[in-house]
Amino acid sequence: MKTALHESHVALGARMVEFGGWHMPVQYAGILQEHAAVRTRAGLFDISHMGEIEVEGENAVDFINYLFTNDASRLQVGEGQYTLMCTPVGGVIDDLYVFRIGEEKFYLVVNASRVEEDFSYVRKFAGNYGVEVSNVTASTGALALQGPVSAEIMQGVVSESLPEKNGIKPVRILEVNCWLTRTGYTGEDGFELFFPGAKSEILWKGLLEAGRDLGLVPCGLGCRDTLRLEACFPLYGHELTKDMTPVEAGLLPFLALYKEDFIGKQALSAQKLLGVKWKLVGFKMKNPGGPPPRAHYKVFSGAHEIGEVTSGTLSPSLKWGIGLAYVESGFAKPGQPLEIEVRGNRVEAEVVKKPFIQKK
Amino acid sequence: MSEIPADLRYASSHEWIRCDGGTAVVGITDHAQHELTDVVYVELPKVGRRAEKGGPVAVIESVKAASDIYAPVGGEILEINPAVTADPSLVNRSPYGEGWLFKIRPDDKSELESLLSASAYGAQIGQ
Repeated sequence: MKTALHESHVALGARMVEFGGWHMPVQYAGILQEHAAVRTRAGLFDISHMGEIEVEGENAVDFINYLFTNDASRLQVGEGQYTLMCTPVGGVIDDLYVFRIGEEKFYLVVNASRVEEDFSYVRKFAGNYGVEVSNVTASTGALALQGPVSAEIMQGVVSESLPEKNGIKPVRILEVNCWLTRTGYTGEDGFELFFPGAKSEILWKGLLEAGRDLGLVPCGLGCRDTLRLEACFPLYGHELTKDMTPVEAGLLPFLALYKEDFIGKQALSAQKLLGVKWKLVGFKMKNPGGPPPRAHYKVFSGAHEIGEVTSGTLSPSLKWGIGLAYVESGFAKPGQPLEIEVRGNRVEAEVVKKPFIQKK
Repeated sequence: MSEIPADLRYASSHEWIRCDGGTAVVGITDHAQHELTDVVYVELPKVGRRAEKGGPVAVIESVKAASDIYAPVGGEILEINPAVTADPSLVNRSPYGEGWLFKIRPDDKSELESLLSASAYGAQIGQ
């Protein structure tokens, strides 16, 4: 599938790749340049591949709270939260954002590759709760404006006050009605906006123009991945799968285990109590000039294979090989020496505190 | 349009080779460096190692992924370029110059004849 901005990306010289069933830009000027722009100024991403699902009905809060791990009853209208959708045994179906856009209405933002499965799962339970669910992905365009000067750029095109962290607001930008959220996937301050797909070009070009003097550049999925990895945000299919639970992934703060019931609650509560076999750790290579770690490289401690890398790269900010890995829980403390197998050779690494990059 | 110097020979796996007497210099093409994007790590073979024609001898890693580099001809590795391991971006900036990877002594110089000419390589990459 192609987003409404496909032609604009090609015209800007983007290199296009397949991602989650979509033809998406991986880079324009270059991943390193775009990464640096988001860390120091701002970047604009086409995220129209993301899925959007609306949920509405009298029992919408109970419905959301039964399907997802976090506690949506704590959300006021205009607030949002990160949450997870799990199987009954605690495996992750998807990670998503839930925004409360009305007393009885919620807006879900889910991963591109998971939309179909998420929607059929959500729909399966909708009848029991008498809620209406609609998959509005195909008609919705979405952009992410990320970076330290993104608020200054956004305030230049929005007359209302900007939403607070994790918040959502209906706003009018360049004559287009949008849902504006203070969220992102880069570890920087930033926004995501959702709007009728047909208006994509107005917003894409208008925002690039509005931010040009502040150093805003178009950014592709390549730097989106390095930015989220430095911030230690999990990526579905890498850190999150049906074989691992949010407890193993270190996402306890997003599990409202005190809720009366939700899908996966028993399994996740038991894991919290009894401990887990695997833990997701951040690690750094010992030698900055060595080979960068990559997904699926094996992790050793001496003779024992203790885990596997889920994501790895040369961190553009730190100029150092970094990664995330599931390791046996006895090897998960910061300072733990690890060896990563790279093309048959063992290369030294060390567990470090997450995230790799933290902004005030 | 990427640069394809007329005086070099090319492997279909995007390496170039320049033969000078008994030794040959190998690197990757401008097209290849462009496709790989920002090179952040280069792993070169040990000097003295034997390479087989078409066999993997080096690894170039971009931000996103690792790619094997193949020997265009069989032979002995005579020298490697320490400048590219110290500054991998040389591969992007100067693929036919400072970004060369290694020197090899071809076992059989006639293997060079089986490689692509600049125009044949250009046709392969749609140029």
